[in-house]
Amino acid sequence: MSTVASPGRPSARLRPLRAPRAPQRPGMLLATLALVVIALVALAPGLFTSQSPTGVRITDVLQPPGTAHWFGTDQLGRDVFARVLYGARPSVLVGLGSTAIALAGGTVMGLAAALGGRWGDWAVMRFADVVLALPPLLLALLAVVILGTGELNLMFAVAIAFIPGYARIVRAEALVVVRSGYVEAAVGLGLRRSVLIVRHVLPNALGPLLVLGTVGIGMAMLSASSLSFLGLGVQPPVPEWGALLSGGRDFFQSAWWLGVFPGVAVTVCVITMNVVGRYGQERFTKRSTR
Amino acid sequence: MRFRTKVLAPVARRLASALAVMTGAAAIAFAALQLVPGDPVQILLGQNNTASPEVRAQIRARFGLDESVPLQFLHYLDHLVHGDLGQSYQLQQPVSGLISAQLRPTAQLMAGAMTVAVVLAVSSALLTAGRRPVLRAAAGFCELVAVSAPSYWVGIVLLTVFSFQLHVFPVAGDQDFASLVLPSITLGLPIAGLLAQVLREAMEAALGQPFVLTARARGVGQTGVRLKHALRHAAIPLVTLTGWLAGSLLGGAVLVENIFGRPGIGALTLQAATNKDMPVVIALVLVSALFFVLISTVVDLLYLLIDPRLRTG
Amino acid sequence: MQLSRPARLTAWVLALATLTLTGCGSGKSSTVAANAKPVAGGSLTYAVNTEPTCFDAHISPQDITGEIDRNVLDSLVSEDSSGTFHPWLAASWTVSSDLQSYTFDLRKDVTFTDGTPFDAAAVKANFDSIAAPATRSQYASSLLGPYKGTTVVDQYTVRVDFSAPFAPFLQAAGTAYLGFYSPKALAAHSNNLCAGGAAAIGTGPFVFAGYTKGQSAVFTENPNYAWGPAGAAHSGPAYLSKLTFRFLPDSATRVGTLTSSQAQVIRSVPAEQVASLKRTPGVTVKELEQPGGAYNLWLNTTVAPLDDQRVREAIQRGIDIAADVKAVYFGVYPRAWSPLTPSTQGYDAALVNSWAYNPDLANRLLDEAGWTGRDAQGYRTKNGAVLSVEWPLLPAEYITDQRDVLGQAIQADLRKVGVRITRPQYDIGTYLQRAYGGKEGILDSSWSRDEPDVLWLFYNSASISAGGQNATFYKDATLDSLTAQGRATLDKTARDQSYGKVQQQVIDLATTVPIYNPVTIVGEQNSVHGLTFDPNDWAVFYGVWLS
Repeated sequence: MSTVASPGRPSARLRPLRAPRAPQRPGMLLATLALVVIALVALAPGLFTSQSPTGVRITDVLQPPGTAHWFGTDQLGRDVFARVLYGARPSVLVGLGSTAIALAGGTVMGLAAALGGRWGDWAVMRFADVVLALPPLLLALLAVVILGTGELNLMFAVAIAFIPGYARIVRAEALVVVRSGYVEAAVGLGLRRSVLIVRHVLPNALGPLLVLGTVGIGMAMLSASSLSFLGLGVQPPVPEWGALLSGGRDFFQSAWWLGVFPGVAVTVCVITMNVVGRYGQERFTKRSTR
Repeated sequence: MRFRTKVLAPVARRLASALAVMTGAAAIAFAALQLVPGDPVQILLGQNNTASPEVRAQIRARFGLDESVPLQFLHYLDHLVHGDLGQSYQLQQPVSGLISAQLRPTAQLMAGAMTVAVVLAVSSALLTAGRRPVLRAAAGFCELVAVSAPSYWVGIVLLTVFSFQLHVFPVAGDQDFASLVLPSITLGLPIAGLLAQVLREAMEAALGQPFVLTARARGVGQTGVRLKHALRHAAIPLVTLTGWLAGSLLGGAVLVENIFGRPGIGALTLQAATNKDMPVVIALVLVSALFFVLISTVVDLLYLLIDPRLRTG
Repeated sequence: MQLSRPARLTAWVLALATLTLTGCGSGKSSTVAANAKPVAGGSLTYAVNTEPTCFDAHISPQDITGEIDRNVLDSLVSEDSSGTFHPWLAASWTVSSDLQSYTFDLRKDVTFTDGTPFDAAAVKANFDSIAAPATRSQYASSLLGPYKGTTVVDQYTVRVDFSAPFAPFLQAAGTAYLGFYSPKALAAHSNNLCAGGAAAIGTGPFVFAGYTKGQSAVFTENPNYAWGPAGAAHSGPAYLSKLTFRFLPDSATRVGTLTSSQAQVIRSVPAEQVASLKRTPGVTVKELEQPGGAYNLWLNTTVAPLDDQRVREAIQRGIDIAADVKAVYFGVYPRAWSPLTPSTQGYDAALVNSWAYNPDLANRLLDEAGWTGRDAQGYRTKNGAVLSVEWPLLPAEYITDQRDVLGQAIQADLRKVGVRITRPQYDIGTYLQRAYGGKEGILDSSWSRDEPDVLWLFYNSASISAGGQNATFYKDATLDSLTAQGRATLDKTARDQSYGKVQQQVIDLATTVPIYNPVTIVGEQNSVHGLTFDPNDWAVFYGVWLS
């Protein structure tokens, strides 16, 4: 859900306040397993079902879950299991895509702030302030209104809210490098300042960015499926989870399977991303505090 | 003297940055207005295709759309300074009236959600911080689910079970306290999950501190330590995070109000966005920015109350 | 309500998990005395699926605005569901033989709720205001057709003139869109009648008490009302003392308000819930076929490949309409055979079963038209081009009745005969521009109005230009004269004949594929009595009482 803070907000900064922890091995193991399954399903849903997600069969309408259809059928007789499986690709793709866009945008903005001098820094950071001041879902709504619906536009719309968080990390890492003496020394040797900073900043910032990005994927998926649920994201007949849920909404009482399974799919997927992301975060902070 | 530097100076700084954020939001909103594809007049007419060219020209003139873009921007700023947020394309009413009429139900919903979130988070953290691993793992799992489950889905499940099947709560609307319960829970759950995680970690960190040992040595009981010392110590991250999350509640309200058929800012936002009613969308962007600025100011002031160190410097 | 086992299980698990919540279920007994006398008093809530964007019936084209404003605005005449006109604010009327001039004798005892008397000047003020471009009327002005002007003959006699014969005027004059606001309100609040509320003053049985956006509109009874339309069961004040319209777009929620007694009447019960709602004790479901245009697909005869009649006919015969409609609407909506619905005057019943599903014929026609090749996905090709037709999807907020889902079934049918249907989605402006600019292959719409004159909108070539509704883009002298003839006469047989020919011809030309006849489904609690529906199937609350 979008009420959850985006990466880079204090929640992430507070995370290092760690205390003695129960071993997380079983959870992590389960999450890794889930991650592998999700990836497989997204890449090749056909491996897991022989049914077509769009195969209309008017004679098999609204069948409850059973041996023929594990998750039942929808109002046009389409197999819900197949639709949920095939729905993994657009759902995961939008999560990954928007995180990638946000990472790229954040990196560019962060570097621009660090290298753009006083005014560049001021402009970028004030822009980040404004973006952070607006609820992520409102930003995404605004972007969808301008860009229109569809998968690619949805990725951009969701990404915008995440950019400032990443930008701040890159900027912080960049400033560390800028203020260290060796840059000045290298500049004295005739190397170009910007090339140098980019070359040193990116490897340093990569770790925290990737860790935050993993948690970000889960958040982005929630955000994207919310928009699809509202009819503003991925459009039917593409079987995206949020859109499936929206279509099953009217049937929650008469055909619960239409709404329950896509919801479970989103939840499991986001939990997986969160667990993996947090594990990475812990490992990373441990390593960097050592 | 000390009051002035300790309280007024940060407030002044805060106001300056608030002004900057608001101006930025206004600029972004106006840019968005220019970028929206499609003819505003058609947006206004909706599905109706029978309006004559004369009617269209009249509408154009009425909303000042026949002016050049720079002139429109100047008028827009001028009106903004005078507190005039313009006319809704779709509803053909003043935007300020539309928004102020929707504030109360959303404010109630957000207050309800924050109450749910804080109560759940504090009780979960108090009960499980530093306890047996099984208990902590169970609580952690619940929190994880609360954070990860899409709130629109949770909302529909709660609605189906408690309203449609068990008839415990009213099905929709904003009539009385009972109709506020399910929406508040739906909106508050993910926040409760996140708060509980951070709070527990902060409390566990505090429980490991020397001052806790001192307190225990003085004979303060387990519960006393938790309530008096650990919780207080953990309050700063709690307040910070609560402030940040409160800002994003407005986004969550879009979904929750939609699901529970409640009026409010969120429902208005969705309607305005899907109908490209840009004067309303712009005004809502400004309102959210203002809300965010207010919340962060309150959070900053709360620090002074909670942490005596900040007061005495 | 019956719970399936897993749903019940979830219910209990969640109930146990949330121990702090206390229950307060409301058991409601509804014993209905037969042949009971109407009782005055009580308050009724009516849950509807759409909320007006504008409450001014003179401006808004929305159905819901008409349905709501009917409680506040009275009309000159009243049309019953059989199409007969009764006196209302006009005690009697005469129509000139050339159908260009209508004279009304008004009742003399009618007052607006602000005390202003209703007279000829009020009629003129309202009609002139509707026709004035400054009002920006989006629908009512079109109901006035070729309006020339209104003349006050004396205080209680008024004449409305048209510049061309205009037979549909009586029907139009009976709608709430041509209802009357107090001239005072019209002058003082012309800009904010859209906002509804107390500014909207009429002569109707209810007074507009207040409006909360996103929630409800509330009406209270007009105690002085004594001019109910002839043909109504009574003529005094309404029985209900309070009437509330609740706006609930989500259909599951709407049904929930009825079963939990938060609403006494709901509209637009989704088809899939009709069966379970019928089994619910204490609740009655009414199904009313809407008059006007059916839900039709319009085939654009000016773009390839639909400029070939064989391709159009193949599409018409290649869709298994009966099965698709039955699956998506659970047998609640009947399939359509004519562009008009059976409850519309002039409907041609001879079309029934005349063009049934025939995939073999569709395949044969496409072969004949030269679409004999096949591409990798099985779509037909001709000279390397794929047989593909674009049918744009409306923006999500305009899609009703799960028409997008029905569209997917139609897509699947046509795929079987080798026709590819693409469904891009545009914003509403682009959609209308492309659709009515003739750039799309297929368009879909239904048009609710109890008047066969809608055929003029659909098929007259004058309706092709900007602002028109003719999405077949087919110019044909016979269709033009037939639709114009229907407009120029009040003789029922002559009209039926012209309109019957139109329906026959557009099916033969395969410019139209009627899909289903929209049905208004209303759920009401058994404590509600006397609920009637006007010719548009809108609920009329004037005679409603509660037991």
